[in-house]
Amino acid sequence: MKKLLEWLGFNRHELIKNNRRYFKTFDKDKPFDEYEYVVLDTELTGLDPRNSEVVSIGAVRVKNLRIMIGGSFFCYARPSKPLPKNSTLIHRITPQQIEKAPPLEDSLPKFIEYCHGAVLVGHFLKIDLTFLGKACRKNFGATLGNTWLDTLKLSQSLEDYKRRHTYSDDPVEQSFNLNKLAIKYNLPLFEKHDALEDAIQTAYLFIYLAHKLRMTGCVTLRDLLISQSNAILPSDQGYSTA
Amino acid sequence: MSTNSEFHFADPISVVHFLKRVVPFNELENITLRKIAGRIILDFFPRGARILEQGVSEVKYVYFIQKGGVRIETDDPAEGLQLKDMREETDYFGILSIISGGKSIFDVTAIEDTFCYLLDRDTFMDLIRERPNFAAHLWERLSRDSIGQVYEQIRSEKLRPRAEDGLRLFNAPIKDVIKRSIETILAADSIQKAAGKMSQDKIGSLLVVDTTGEVVGIITDNDLRNKVVAKGVDPSVSVGSIMSAPVKTISEESICFDALVEMMHSQTHHLAVSGPNGITGVISAHDIMVDQGDSPISLYREIVAQKMIEGLYPLSRKMPFIVRSLILEGAKANDVTRMISILNDHIVSRVIYLLDQELGPAPYPFCWLTMGSEGRREQTFKTDQDNALIYETPPEGWDYVKDAKLYFRRFGNIAIKHLAACGYPLCKGEIMASNPKWRKPYAVWRNYFDNWMNAPEPQAVLHATIFFDFRGGYGEKSLAEKLRDYIVNQAPNRGIFLMHLARDCISTKSPLSFFKNFLVEKDGKYKNRLDLKTRGLVPFVDFARVLALRHGLRQTNTLDRIATLGEHSFIPNELYSETREAYEFQMQIRLVHQLRMIEEGKQPDNYIDPSELTDREKHTLKDAFEVINRIQGYLKNEFRVLE
Repeated sequence: MKKLLEWLGFNRHELIKNNRRYFKTFDKDKPFDEYEYVVLDTELTGLDPRNSEVVSIGAVRVKNLRIMIGGSFFCYARPSKPLPKNSTLIHRITPQQIEKAPPLEDSLPKFIEYCHGAVLVGHFLKIDLTFLGKACRKNFGATLGNTWLDTLKLSQSLEDYKRRHTYSDDPVEQSFNLNKLAIKYNLPLFEKHDALEDAIQTAYLFIYLAHKLRMTGCVTLRDLLISQSNAILPSDQGYSTA
Repeated sequence: MSTNSEFHFADPISVVHFLKRVVPFNELENITLRKIAGRIILDFFPRGARILEQGVSEVKYVYFIQKGGVRIETDDPAEGLQLKDMREETDYFGILSIISGGKSIFDVTAIEDTFCYLLDRDTFMDLIRERPNFAAHLWERLSRDSIGQVYEQIRSEKLRPRAEDGLRLFNAPIKDVIKRSIETILAADSIQKAAGKMSQDKIGSLLVVDTTGEVVGIITDNDLRNKVVAKGVDPSVSVGSIMSAPVKTISEESICFDALVEMMHSQTHHLAVSGPNGITGVISAHDIMVDQGDSPISLYREIVAQKMIEGLYPLSRKMPFIVRSLILEGAKANDVTRMISILNDHIVSRVIYLLDQELGPAPYPFCWLTMGSEGRREQTFKTDQDNALIYETPPEGWDYVKDAKLYFRRFGNIAIKHLAACGYPLCKGEIMASNPKWRKPYAVWRNYFDNWMNAPEPQAVLHATIFFDFRGGYGEKSLAEKLRDYIVNQAPNRGIFLMHLARDCISTKSPLSFFKNFLVEKDGKYKNRLDLKTRGLVPFVDFARVLALRHGLRQTNTLDRIATLGEHSFIPNELYSETREAYEFQMQIRLVHQLRMIEEGKQPDNYIDPSELTDREKHTLKDAFEVINRIQGYLKNEFRVLE
């Protein structure tokens, strides 16, 4: 009986209910620096949503467009299947590191709580949201309702603006890879590649873009959402999870 | 929201690593650093952003620069905005303001896109209280008054003291500077007598001797003012009662610099100079400064004191020394070029004034016009003469016109020769008052400008770059002002003319390659060098000019034009600040480059060798060149220039 209710969506977890209720009436028209953001990155066992899983989450909160570096979120999660060898090579998470980690469903409520009231931000966030959403639906009956921004699209939008407003022979930017963008914009670079370092790197990119987009006339959160939806992704996104 | 779960890192390792590079925070042990790191917030300031405002911003954090750089300035009602320091990665700011009560004591502006770690005031104050040793080291560092790093670097590395005839201030012995024999007065003589002697001999001090001839003290003009006049002392009392004693002495073999230091130390303006056989003279701060001859004021005095035009000939040669001392004192390029322009103005004005006296009254009021870089007050060294003459339109009738033509022809020709003798080379394009074409009454000048603005041909654009930056020099300046009125009035409506100017500005490509390397000359005399004037500075000058004309501004100086454009929001704020910084930085590089060439005995030019720049200079220069793309993009858009 319990399983049936879950399946029908009656048994949504309280957290998810709150989350979805909050964002149902979320005001998007305040200046974007008044919102709180959670910039996140996940490490995955692979890119196929059907049989890949989240093995770690890193996230950092942004308040007043400042990164609250001290109050970050990080967890490992033990996948249901052993780690495939090639993913270990990518994010340097070894089977030993996650052996004793709790499964994702144990950490997920804390993460949902951490994200409460915040706009989610990530680089090519769609991938992270697909996996997190899948886990949320499986465990709590629904996906996250948070409004979200993608730094990849925002940087695309900034580049579009620059191309329209400057006299430049630079070719259309081909790569929107997180690291290359960080180099292009001269951001501090983080060498380590766990989910937290990547989340912090993304947070740097995010506050950089937010300030720069403000100069192009973006004021409210809705402006940012519009500019990201207008961004045209290049055919070769140059994106990799590495 | 829960923040205390085991999933939260309190000590992002990157922050700890960073703090380990920051002196004296690197002295703190790991556990303290991790505690601090847990409280750190990261903030971003785009280039040009004002981070703290003097007297206004409440300083709630210590700011550590993770990446980027800031400029620290104070705004003093008496001295204006003054650059105090530049800070870059691993430097910090805000501590002095926190200690001194909260409001910022400086203006702090991001000169690059800047990321700062913020440590809140309370955590920082706790640290100070708990760690007396750390606090002591911090105070020690803060009290060492460091000077602006970029400019300091330019000053110290590029301007090493010259070997043989280096600054006299540093290596001239005092005995070479004292000129007078010693003047003495008896201690028993009256103050009145001393004052009489000083004024008669035009000297500022007397050594006071006793009846045996032994020096017992000194009396100076300051003593007369402060101890006698101001206090109403009876001038019949003895000198001995008000003299300064014992007299401070310095060896005649000491260098002038030591004398100045001693004077500042003992807060006096006079020192007795001692030789092997006792006192040989007196040296004053004034003597040293005059000998120095490197102060703008001393040159100015020399210029205005000249009664003969020939006396002005050698004076412009002193300019490099003055520029050198200004740069060593930390003046910015824009201030230096203004100073050069002011001094050149004085020389030119003095030449014209004396010539005016010599040739007798002009038949009509006239004004000497300066053009080009002099008109913009942006001269560096030895720029060609660009000048012209405007006079009041004579009444109809050949006789009137003839009078004017004859007088001003003579005037123009002689003036040019004198100026050439003063060290201003003749203009190859003949844009000088000796050319009849550029020696015209107001009505003709107005027609000239009207034609240039109406029929923009390549020649008109060239003229715009020289003539439109004119400025009235010696004479009836209202003539120049009237002409400026006309242009300010007309230019904004001459769209096609402006568009051509904009196109001309756009045609100069920024000297950066696709891979952001400097584009240098491929061969010839200037192989591997970069023409900073044509490729770097001219686009900014052109940009400021075309927009100034478009918006009807009267200014001719590029930075003034840009500032006014910014103030009136004719250009976006960001563009304004990056344009200003890029232009100032290039001016500084060029000035130091030219000064070096002069000191090496070469003719100054505008070709710099990028390999001689420091990494930081290269980086800043590349940033400056990138601004060229942005100003060109702006013009392209603004004037709808089609390529």
